[in-house]
Amino acid sequence: MRRRRRTEILVQANPNLAASLANEIKQTYTYKEIVTPRHGLTMVKMRESAQKSLFYIGEVLVTEAKVEIQGEIGIGIIQGMHDEVATQLAIIDAAYNAQLPETLSWTDTLKAAEAEINRKKIKQQAELMETKVNFETMDV
Amino acid sequence: MGYVAVKGGTKAIEASIERLTYDRLQESEVIEVKTIMATMRALVDQVMSESSLYSPFLAALAIKQAEGSMEEAVFIMRAHRSTLPRLHYSNIVESESMLVERRISASFKDIPGGQILGSTTDYTHRLLDFSLASETKLENDQWMKNYVDKLEQAVSPQDEVLFFPKVVDYLRQEGLFGGHELDDTPPTDITKENLSFPASRSARLQTLTRGQTGAVTALGYASLRGYGQVHPTVGEVRVGMLPIYVGHPNEPEQTEEDSYYIGEIKVSEVESFVPVSVKNEQNEAELDFEIGYGVCYGQNETKAIAMSILDQCLEHPEASFPTHDEEFVLLHIDSVEATGFISHLKLPHYVTFQSKLNSVREVKRKGESNEE
Repeated sequence: MRRRRRTEILVQANPNLAASLANEIKQTYTYKEIVTPRHGLTMVKMRESAQKSLFYIGEVLVTEAKVEIQGEIGIGIIQGMHDEVATQLAIIDAAYNAQLPETLSWTDTLKAAEAEINRKKIKQQAELMETKVNFETMDV
Repeated sequence: MGYVAVKGGTKAIEASIERLTYDRLQESEVIEVKTIMATMRALVDQVMSESSLYSPFLAALAIKQAEGSMEEAVFIMRAHRSTLPRLHYSNIVESESMLVERRISASFKDIPGGQILGSTTDYTHRLLDFSLASETKLENDQWMKNYVDKLEQAVSPQDEVLFFPKVVDYLRQEGLFGGHELDDTPPTDITKENLSFPASRSARLQTLTRGQTGAVTALGYASLRGYGQVHPTVGEVRVGMLPIYVGHPNEPEQTEEDSYYIGEIKVSEVESFVPVSVKNEQNEAELDFEIGYGVCYGQNETKAIAMSILDQCLEHPEASFPTHDEEFVLLHIDSVEATGFISHLKLPHYVTFQSKLNSVREVKRKGESNEE
C-alpha cells in the first residue's frame, strides 16, 4: 500500500492501530531513533480559486520523528503534539521502506480501518444533510 | 536636551506580574484547556487565524494565559511560532478536496449539491439564553443522546463520501465566468521577506488571511459603504476540513501517492462575485464578473467575506479610495503590529515629552516677554 493511502488511514483511524503495528515491528527488529519526536511547523501552500494562483494560508503545528530500521529511514509526521504517534508512524514508514515481510500482512487490516473511516464520514455527511435546504418556490 | 538614561522599576514590575497571576487566580476557578477547546470554538479559530498558526490546543492555552484577550493570545502564539523550526512545506492544497460541513450561496438558489446550512448562528435569536447559566452535564448528555437517536432514525447514508463542486467552477463550465490557467508561480512568504509594494497577489492574500478579524471586517465594510468600489454578491461560502499532505524531503522522484498525510485543518472559504465593466472586441462596454477570494483558518465567515471584498479592491488600485490602497490596507490589519504599536505608547516617553514641554514653555516665555 502506497504511503499516501496508508498514512491517511493511520492518522485518521483509532490511534491503537498505529501503536499495534509499530509494536509488531518493535518486537522483532531493533530501531534507531534518528530524530526524536520534535515539534515544528508545516507551511500550508494553497491554491485560491479566483485566479488559480498559489499563496500561503499559514502554518500548522506538527510533530515529526525519524527512525532507522535495517538501514532504511522512516519518517512520521502528524499534526499537533503527538510524540508517541509520530514515532509509531516513523517505525511503520521505515518498515515499508525496508520491505519487511510484516507489512504484507497489514494490507487487510489497513483496508478494514479505511472502510470504517469512510463509513463514519459517510454517516456524518448524511447527518449534515439534515440541514440541507429544500427550497419551495412561491406563487406570486 | 540630551537623553537621560534611567533605571528602576524592577521590583514594581515583578510585583505587577505577581498581581496579574493573583487576578487570574483570585476567584479560585480553574478553566481547563480542553474546556476552552470544546466550548469556545470561535475564539480558538480567531486566535489561530490571526496568529497564522493552526493548533487548537496552543490557541486554547494562549487564550487561558491571556485571560481571553485576543490581542494578547495572538501575540503569545506568534512569539511561540517564532521559536519553532519550519520543517516542511505542504503540497498544494486544492479546496475542492474539502470535506464540507457548511455551504451556502447568496447568488443561486439551486447550486449543484444543494445548500447545506451545517452549524451556524445565522438563524438564531440573539436573545440571552439564561438557561445556560445553570446547565448541567447530565442535561447536556441527555440532549446529546436524544439528538443522536433522532439522527439514527432519520438519516439514510449515501454510498460514498461526497465532495461538492464549486459554484464558480459550475459557472465557468457554463461559460458565464472567464477561466484561469493554473498559475504555479512560487508564492511570496511574508514571514520570510518584508512586505514591499506593489505587493504580489500571494503576499496580499497571506497578509489578509492573517489579518485581525475586526480590522479586515471594518475595511471590508468601509468598501461597501462607499470608501471603496466593491459591493459583491457572495457566490459561495463553504466551511469544512482540508486534508494536508507533505512530500518526502529527500526522495528525488516521487508522486502524490508517496506523500505523507499529516491531518486536516478547518477553514472558511468565500468566492464573491463582483460586477465589472469591460470592453469587448468591438470596444463596447459590457458587464462581466470578477471573483474576490477570501479564506481563513477556522469558522469565521465574516472575516472570509470581508477578505474577498478587500482582495477584489486591491486587484483594482484606486487612489481616491482607501480600501483600494494596498499600503493602507495591508500595513494596518495585522493584530500584533497594530496592537503593538498602539501599546508602545504606554512605554516611557519621558524624554520626548519633556522636550515637547520645554518647547511649549519656551514659546510661552517668549510670548510673555513680548507682551511686557
